[in-house]
Amino acid sequence: MPVFNLCLKILKKNLPVMSIYFGVFIMVSFIMMSNASGSQTGYSDVKTDIAILADEESVLIDGLKTSLSDVANFIEIGDERSQIQDALYFRRVGYVLRIPSGFTEEFLAGGTPTLSKTVVPGSNSSMYIDMNIEQYLNTARLYANAMPEMPLDELTEAVLGNLSQDTKVSMLSSERIYGEQGMMQYYFNYLAYTFMFVLILGISVIMLVFNDLSIKRRNACSPISASKINFQFYLANMLFTFVSWIILVSVSLAFGHKELSSPNTWYFIFNSLLFALTASGIGFFIGNLVKGREAISAVANSFTLGTCFISGVFVPQVLLGEGVLRLASFFPTYWYVKANAQIAGITNHSWSNLNGVGNTFLVQLGFAAAFFVLAMVVGKRKQMAVEEE
Amino acid sequence: MFRHIFIYRLKVLMKNKSMLFWTLIFPIALATFFKLSLGGLVEQGTFRAINVVVVEQVRQDGFMDIMESLSTGDEPLFNMTVLDMDAAEARLEDEEVAAIITVNETIGMTVNQSGFGQSIVKSFLDQYNNTADAVSTILAINPSAHESIANDLRSRVTYTMEEPITDSKMDITLNYFYALIAMASLYGGFFGVEEVNNIQANLSVHAARVNVAPVHKLKAFLYSTSASFLIQYSEMLVFLAYLRYILNVDFGDRFGLILVTTFVGSLVGLSLGAFVSALLKSNEDVKTGILIGMTMTGAFLAGMMFGDMKYIVQTKFPIVAILNPVNLLSDAYYSLYFYDDYVRYSQNIVILLIFSFVFCAATYMIIRRRKYASL
Repeated sequence: MPVFNLCLKILKKNLPVMSIYFGVFIMVSFIMMSNASGSQTGYSDVKTDIAILADEESVLIDGLKTSLSDVANFIEIGDERSQIQDALYFRRVGYVLRIPSGFTEEFLAGGTPTLSKTVVPGSNSSMYIDMNIEQYLNTARLYANAMPEMPLDELTEAVLGNLSQDTKVSMLSSERIYGEQGMMQYYFNYLAYTFMFVLILGISVIMLVFNDLSIKRRNACSPISASKINFQFYLANMLFTFVSWIILVSVSLAFGHKELSSPNTWYFIFNSLLFALTASGIGFFIGNLVKGREAISAVANSFTLGTCFISGVFVPQVLLGEGVLRLASFFPTYWYVKANAQIAGITNHSWSNLNGVGNTFLVQLGFAAAFFVLAMVVGKRKQMAVEEE
Repeated sequence: MFRHIFIYRLKVLMKNKSMLFWTLIFPIALATFFKLSLGGLVEQGTFRAINVVVVEQVRQDGFMDIMESLSTGDEPLFNMTVLDMDAAEARLEDEEVAAIITVNETIGMTVNQSGFGQSIVKSFLDQYNNTADAVSTILAINPSAHESIANDLRSRVTYTMEEPITDSKMDITLNYFYALIAMASLYGGFFGVEEVNNIQANLSVHAARVNVAPVHKLKAFLYSTSASFLIQYSEMLVFLAYLRYILNVDFGDRFGLILVTTFVGSLVGLSLGAFVSALLKSNEDVKTGILIGMTMTGAFLAGMMFGDMKYIVQTKFPIVAILNPVNLLSDAYYSLYFYDDYVRYSQNIVILLIFSFVFCAATYMIIRRRKYASL
């Protein structure tokens, strides 16, 4: 199978560049994994990261910290202005609380001393922590004003006792899984970037060689029939797509190995197979359009990065503007990412639940068909142009 | 000689379309994608009134009054609807509301997931329930305290006071653009790759020809590299202007230093490219591939694809942050924007200068005195 072998040879030559992209994918997934929050089912309070810079220590302040520890993780940061600013900008902490000296004394004397806070303005976390601080101090005030003679440690204990009574929270459906357990969808999302790039690059590089006029003419007079050439050509490309798919999916599954047992895994795998189909269609299309090696890498990079950005591979779709998403919906990556999100949300495998994902799958299939047809049309026109020369 | 080489090199480079694409058009395209896709990020974490449904199973006017007052006004805490349980559950299922508040003898809540909205609702309910607990605890100990309690409950005290730290907006998207500028600067490395390929006789025919010309090799190299540098730096200025005036990315007002930073960035990019090209004997594709890979990895670690990355690296692997030129460069822009003092800025610039010195020196050591009897 000379044509088949030639294709593999061309691919082999481009292996170093492609392996860089595989490397990028593995690294992104790895870092995401190490950053994933612990797995959890059911409800739990959000814990936001805060820093406390205390200039005094007292039982009252310790009580405040204890009470906040339910809703906050205490992060140590330096007390310099630039350190505080950095921590806030990168959202290392969402709230910096400074406790001035003399606070406890003035508080117990019935005054209203203030704690100074530095926050990301208007943020959820500042609202959340404020509520909890005010609640602790206002409850303490109730005790202090009602029973001025109560010793501070008893007062603090009583306040903490009251505050430890949690409101009962029930879950609507208990099967939903969060945190680390919900990471599979993201590993599969990141796969889109590498997959699309590698497929476009690999397929269009092969096509570039075959579309070269002299080689085309040489091939046309070879003793192998055109249909055989085509067959071997597509076979090689399919093999390439399949191998890349296997590698990428295995990496994704390896990263998400903790949730392998979920039946949703099969849907993720199927979705990525659909994406493979579309991406290779795009590869054929671009391969038929571009003229030089350099152009391939330019187009592959811009197209891949551009679609990944607006489709929510890097930035979650919920954070994207409506207009951007509408634009993105003209690209298959958007539907791939959307399907992943839908799959992650499946809790019971009833027909109505699967219906939404099914539609998204169909849209992707439509894209794949469209790109293949486009590729063929462009390819045919090119061929006819060559024949006329 | 300088003029001759410089001008012709300039002409050659200007005709290299793929180079212009990578060093100018590609960053501009990416910046545009960023602008399109990062808008929502500014909003993330910003508080908005939380959608809740209240299901009143038992009449509790006191609680409902509080809910009502918290759902109105300029900055409401909640956006409240009152429904029956079935309708409420449907809303929750569709994620239209964060939580259902069930008003019974006790107040409870139903959620479908954990999140800030849900936690704030719970904090509020805790507040309501716990205050009631506290009142009954106090009255049990000291029944005569009801007056003081009533007083305190009427006038809740606010103990925290905001002390803003900076006038600059805490716009987290800025770092994405700064990382992008850093990436574009390092893409100047393509010019470096090109320059070395054009001077090392074993790398290209052109270089072999240049080597037999009676011009000092390093002089020829420096002259033509200055043409590359000029183009790279001008492109970066065009890119900065695009960011500043078309996409409205804020850089602060220290324009002089921004130009200096960009200058240093172009220098690091060019010298990195030259170094990679001199070090590896492989063909240009591989060199370019490696350069892209290095830059993209650096950009990723500097938070260009995922903003949190920068601080994860900064706090967990500080050494990686210092060894990553993309991070150093974007951090330089960041410090210019946010800090009044120049400590962190100068640190970044000094390390970057050390980097480019090392790259230049290494390139020099590799390419000097290479002579070939035949190729």
